[in-house]
Amino acid sequence: MAVLRTIRTVCPRNCYGTCGMLVTLDHTNHIVAIEGDPANPATEGHVCLKGLSYARRIGYRDRLLTPVRRRGTGTHFDPVSWDDAIGEIAERLIRIRDAHGPAGVLYYEGSGSHGALGGLSMAFWRQFGGCTTTYGDLCWPAGLEATRLTYGANRHNHPRLTRDSRFVLIWGHNPAETSIHQWRLILDAQARGAVVAVIDPRSTDTTDAADLHLQPRPGTDAALALGLARIIVDAGLHDSAFLDAHATGFEAYRARLDEYPADRVAAITGLDESWIRELALAYARTRPALLMAGFGLQRHHHAGQTMRAVSLLPALTGNVGVAGGGWQYANLASHCLKPLPLPAEPEAHPRTFPVSQVAHHLETLSDPPIRGAWIERGNPASQNPSAPRIRAALRALDLVVVVDQFMTPTARCADFVLPAKSLFEEEDLVTAYWHPYLQWRARILDPPGAVKPETDIWRLLCRQFGYDTSWFPDNRRDVLRGLLPEGHESALEDLMARPLDLSGYGDVAFADRAFPTPSGRVQFASDEAAGLWGVAPVPAYTALHEGHDGAIAARLPLQLLSCKTRDRIHSQFGNLDWVQAIERPHVLDIHPQDAASRGIEDGARVAVWNDRGRVELAARVTPGIRTGVVHILEGWCHDGDPDVNALTAEGVTDINHGATFYECLVEVMPV
Amino acid sequence: MSGAGFSIDLHRCVGCGACVIACRIENARTEQHAWRRVLPLNLRRHPGGPTYFLSVACHHCDQPACLRGCPSRAYEKRVDGVVVHHDDRCLGCRYCEMTCPFGAPTYDPARGVVSKCHLCAHRLDRGLPPACVAACPTTALRTLEADSALEAGTQPTVPGFVDAAGCRPNIRFASPKGARRSALYADLEQRIKR
Repeated sequence: MAVLRTIRTVCPRNCYGTCGMLVTLDHTNHIVAIEGDPANPATEGHVCLKGLSYARRIGYRDRLLTPVRRRGTGTHFDPVSWDDAIGEIAERLIRIRDAHGPAGVLYYEGSGSHGALGGLSMAFWRQFGGCTTTYGDLCWPAGLEATRLTYGANRHNHPRLTRDSRFVLIWGHNPAETSIHQWRLILDAQARGAVVAVIDPRSTDTTDAADLHLQPRPGTDAALALGLARIIVDAGLHDSAFLDAHATGFEAYRARLDEYPADRVAAITGLDESWIRELALAYARTRPALLMAGFGLQRHHHAGQTMRAVSLLPALTGNVGVAGGGWQYANLASHCLKPLPLPAEPEAHPRTFPVSQVAHHLETLSDPPIRGAWIERGNPASQNPSAPRIRAALRALDLVVVVDQFMTPTARCADFVLPAKSLFEEEDLVTAYWHPYLQWRARILDPPGAVKPETDIWRLLCRQFGYDTSWFPDNRRDVLRGLLPEGHESALEDLMARPLDLSGYGDVAFADRAFPTPSGRVQFASDEAAGLWGVAPVPAYTALHEGHDGAIAARLPLQLLSCKTRDRIHSQFGNLDWVQAIERPHVLDIHPQDAASRGIEDGARVAVWNDRGRVELAARVTPGIRTGVVHILEGWCHDGDPDVNALTAEGVTDINHGATFYECLVEVMPV
Repeated sequence: MSGAGFSIDLHRCVGCGACVIACRIENARTEQHAWRRVLPLNLRRHPGGPTYFLSVACHHCDQPACLRGCPSRAYEKRVDGVVVHHDDRCLGCRYCEMTCPFGAPTYDPARGVVSKCHLCAHRLDRGLPPACVAACPTTALRTLEADSALEAGTQPTVPGFVDAAGCRPNIRFASPKGARRSALYADLEQRIKR
């Protein structure tokens, strides 16, 4: 009988789940089972299809097992030793620094693999003299800052309290596909009698199971939120006792609501007035009610004000600090680690630019220009706005180094691709953003072939430059132990045994009604928002520049959404045959009316274009999507043709430096 | 009903395919066609019918067409109801691929034999559910209860699934979705009052 061993670890992908996992291996280190860890009280012993497919991904035929170097200027890459790779990379980095200074090199890290040790890269770059980096985030920052401005902190109830909800309002979110454990809890609440309402311009697996589905025009959510509030206040259904005791700025907010009568909101959102009224009354009358917002409704220029408007509804109805209620956006309770010890920042302040504008800055920065790039844990040549321009700009640089497990579209732009570890090949601590648990990522396998964890790569580079390598001690556990928060310094061994909530916040967020805002109350008006970001203290709706009714829409009338699928985490996992065997098709979803007026038949190949780019794919004519809206799943990069980000713009959100992927007008025609 | 088979809650199933991948891992189906498949119905979301996913493998039928059509007696209906395939008796003639109306047996050219879902009989013998059932993140997929009375509220068929060949498949469907939004919306007020 084969001897099996089972090891507890965690999935580090950029995903709500951050699932505790149990991995079982046989005596040859072959993975024979991957299961959820029942010790994680949020994921409850489940993982998703992607977590299971690590059994395929770790040893997949396409995995890079050795450093490779581009042959000449062609498309071939040849294996190269670590010594040669590091030696040549160091030479070229020095040449760029000599000619342009350290800011002539861009260091770009994505969200592809979470772990506290990722930040050790800066131990090299600070000794290098600095470099150019990015700030902001492609995904969620506007909603994070909006939540902080409203409630003072990004905390929400423990996921399992979803089961206590009587009304779950899901806004711009598709948990059935992108937050599967949350979805299980919602289904349980629904089975116990809760009403599930969804606001989404698309029909999704989530809306299929919903009791109520409203399909507003993308980018009009602020108007909808204020319109719902107006109906609630007019009906006297707001929680005056809560507002008197725990809110500030309510009178100014109430004055703002005068601008949003239901008929105007219906005209802006394109929703039936009676449905808006029905939703408002049902949400306000049913307690406890949970409002769960996704990231989708904050991917446009007015994201911050939109999220502030939406985030106020739970406070308006007194659903804050209540089990089964609340505002659920992101839970940063596990983000409690101390900062990594790093060398001092170089005196010359390093240069930095918004992460949503990589193409623009690669093309235009001067004094010094960007001449080299190091990219790890990310795939900007597929996943960032205006991706084709990023590919062209990268190919024109003097040095591009990409660290990855696979030849991604970004890796194909590189001069050197260095093989990255998998999640099973280095110990680390992993935080979450849906549940409150800090988790231990175990080293289950030795890295295959010549693969080295990134921390080893940085140490090699430091050694090559003659820098201090003591930032990378042989025993990385010493580093991790030093990151544990005060009072939990000896928790590392406990974390190896089970996930831990070290926050001390409790299961019900804001149960004590103590809000760490300037006023100590929920901010219906926020001078802080006005001071930091130059926005109105009370949120309002502003029409999008690339919206349904702007000047651009006369020429490019369709709003393009590029949402997430269950099959991938952005562009990860899509290369695996197991995933390709079950994945959703790569199509443009278009409403029958929009299709008919353009002569588009179901299955026909269509061109989608705007002033930024053009892509071709098959159309799927579906009454599930709102008229005036089209949709392509993001993250598809089979055959090396990432496409939807040929169309997206490099905008920056009003608050907190986010990206504007969903503010994107296009036209569609048959090819 | 013999008790060996699957039950699927169509309201809870999101067609994610975790069951398919779990089956591949458990049964080392690395390269070949998987034993389990997810058949989506109405992904276009035509308003005339529901959208759902049929996660299907072998139905361990009471009258297995694979068994009846096999010239080498490679199939066996066990006393617990599980229909198993014995590789060592298989000629590789692939008749069962033709006779099974549900597409459960699949041919493995590398080994020259057919194979199919055996309900993870090796796991059942250890008191564990089949790998697909254990992996289902929404707990939509279950094994049938031995006592068919416990399957109250489930039904033997849904649009898109027909037992035309009279195999008497052991599969039950729970909470098939009806006509979508309008019916659900009419129901809303009732549920709020409750």
